Amino acid sequence: MSVYTVDGLHVRIDGELVVEDVGFAVGAGECVALAGASGSGKSQSCLAPFGLSPGIPAGSARLGKTELIGADPATLRQIRGKDVGFVFQHPLTALTPHLTIGAQLSEAWRQGGAPPPSRSDMIAALDRVGLDEPENRLDQFPHRLSGGQRQRALIGMAIAHRPKLLIADEPVSALDASLRAEIMALLDTLRREDGLALLLVSHDLAAIGRHADRLVMLRGGRVEESGPAARHLAAPTSAYGRELVAATPRLTDPPPDLAETGAPLLLAENVHVSFPRPGWRRGRIEAVSGASLTVHEGEALALVGGSGSGKSTLARAIARLGPLDRGQVCWREETLPERKRMLPRYRRLIQPVFQDPAASLDPQWQVSDIIAEPLRHLRPGLGKGDRAELVGATLQEVDLPAEFADRLPRALSGGQSQRVAIARALVSEPEMLVLDEATSALDVLVAGRVLDLLERLRQKRNLALLFITHDLAVARRLCHRIAVMEAGEIVEEGPAQRIIATPAHRATQKLVTASGV
Amino acid sequence: MNRRATPDNPRTGRGRPGRIPLLIVAAIALAALVVPPLLPWTHSAIGWDAVRAPLFAPGHLLGTDTVGRDLLARTLVGTRVTLAVALAAALVALIIGTAWGAIAGWCGGRIDEAMMRIVDGLYALPFMFVVILLMVVFGRSIVLVFIGIGAVEWLTMARVVRGQVIALKERPFVTAAEAAGASPVRILTGHILPNVAGVALAYLLLTVPQVVMVESFLSFLGLGVQEPLTSLGILVKEGADDMDLQPHALLIPGGVLVLVIVCLTIAGERLRDRLAR
Repeated sequence: MSVYTVDGLHVRIDGELVVEDVGFAVGAGECVALAGASGSGKSQSCLAPFGLSPGIPAGSARLGKTELIGADPATLRQIRGKDVGFVFQHPLTALTPHLTIGAQLSEAWRQGGAPPPSRSDMIAALDRVGLDEPENRLDQFPHRLSGGQRQRALIGMAIAHRPKLLIADEPVSALDASLRAEIMALLDTLRREDGLALLLVSHDLAAIGRHADRLVMLRGGRVEESGPAARHLAAPTSAYGRELVAATPRLTDPPPDLAETGAPLLLAENVHVSFPRPGWRRGRIEAVSGASLTVHEGEALALVGGSGSGKSTLARAIARLGPLDRGQVCWREETLPERKRMLPRYRRLIQPVFQDPAASLDPQWQVSDIIAEPLRHLRPGLGKGDRAELVGATLQEVDLPAEFADRLPRALSGGQSQRVAIARALVSEPEMLVLDEATSALDVLVAGRVLDLLERLRQKRNLALLFITHDLAVARRLCHRIAVMEAGEIVEEGPAQRIIATPAHRATQKLVTASGV
Repeated sequence: MNRRATPDNPRTGRGRPGRIPLLIVAAIALAALVVPPLLPWTHSAIGWDAVRAPLFAPGHLLGTDTVGRDLLARTLVGTRVTLAVALAAALVALIIGTAWGAIAGWCGGRIDEAMMRIVDGLYALPFMFVVILLMVVFGRSIVLVFIGIGAVEWLTMARVVRGQVIALKERPFVTAAEAAGASPVRILTGHILPNVAGVALAYLLLTVPQVVMVESFLSFLGLGVQEPLTSLGILVKEGADDMDLQPHALLIPGGVLVLVIVCLTIAGERLRDRLAR
């Protein structure tokens, strides 16, 4: 007997069909995953029937025996309060900042018409979702909780009124790798113990493979594949499914074939970075304490760690784009000067690529000007014609058509923006790129293509890469060596295969487990 | 059903940036510039034969005042003076405020602290008191009005621009420009200021009606523009003195004043909201 059945669902937004003939059923204790690239209609398929999106649904969506489509807003509101729980992607914005966790939990509890919960009920509820110190958490405001803790609190609220169905829309995408595993494990436990039906929306096929019973793969709003998750991930039946599976890096993939590396290129020794404490408090917080790194010519080094481990700060200090308290950064025996004295000839050597592709391009500048900017400053000898020629060649190198040159960033997709950012980093012919979570904000397929592009460029130009990521599987696909960071220190470093096969440090083991080996 | 103005659904969100209010202001400004030279009377020509002419009197469309000056000519010239003072003061505020805010926001640290404390200090000064004091010491002049207004109106602009610059400074494209070897001056002029321009323009639109109000207020008190030159504030004052006999002498300049202030405020707020989205 299925808890939630969707049949022939169509969703229109402003007259445009975004979901077409989607059908699936979720039984008690079962987990069905909606997978697909961004824009494939997975969120719309699960939110529109409940009246939680601007989309207008048609077809059939039954919760138990109640038909949702065509129901009036009051009925939908009652159903949402009573029988369904929702968990969304951004734990940071999903809680109301001026209400305590207890007040919000109590509200969630009462929305189905239940009497107000006692304090011990609420403590038990928070304890159930694995939130530490539940007693104190009740009186705390959301800003005191970390991302993982907030997501636990949100799950606690979503299940407070004992729903039959839990809809989780990318519940872990905003969290780092080890937290992801913990939250997914929590959802599994709830499902098993309460017989909760779970509808999971995710673009992470690896996670789907570990947690979902059945899989519905969407593409452009249509069902591409549907059936048992394990079978479809092992042997996708559609071309799109095969592409998605191939683009998802997994630790069980055969080891990649990476070229040999050369002489030491960059040597960072005993790097310390600290920031003043926020507000009026005295003293400083150490973000990086005594980290040392070596990157060789043509080598890809992954810097892996949880959020807040100091990996971005270290990379910025190395690239001389952030503060550096103590320590030395040498480039082929020569010490790099401090941030303000980075002459063009030093700046040219190391170029950055950032996580958020939209924010890394000036919205007012044309693509050709964005790419030409480093040339103007770092190679001032070039004439206008030479510059335009180099920009064109670099666009081609990152697989963008020449007519993109006079577009503005808002006319680019995320993947295209990231390619422009890579082109800007490449155009001055650097010897090393610093990639700060360069693929994390991208969709699976796009991220896969960007990774392939980086690998190709590395081999062609003999580029060294410092690849910052929280995802070991991505690191392994691209990198020779992995350095693991925790609390501002590098706790383990070695060849990628060795680190993943026999992790020595606790932090590394946690990351490897989280990546699901 | 289920239609809400979400950020993802801009079509059901807020509207266009106040095109109609801007057109109304433009029409008023154009009339104030073009029409006066075409009239048979100047704004200061005294006509003892037609004192207090009513509305639609022959030769005087809006009648005349207590000394027989044509009210149409006076209203149009007054509008011209008021708008010119307001625009000039707002531009001064834009230039000083943007430069001050951009430098404070960009430099950060102690320089920022010091510069913004100066702004706070100036905010705290009783503005009217300072203007009156200046008038007493240096005598009445339109330049002083102008300096007085300009000295106050740039403060808000400086705060707004500083906030924007601080937010933009942390954006990756600014870091990328640094990595591309651009000097701080190039980053400020090439990346940061162009991205502040929209917000600065919105606040410029909001500053103009504020200055119109302040100028009219000063003129009403007799501290602003001096006869024989006129402004909307002076006309409102003269109309108020004579309102029991000729209410239109108050209502017409007053109406123009209200229309200009309301239209510019609506346009400025629409633009600001649109940029904030």
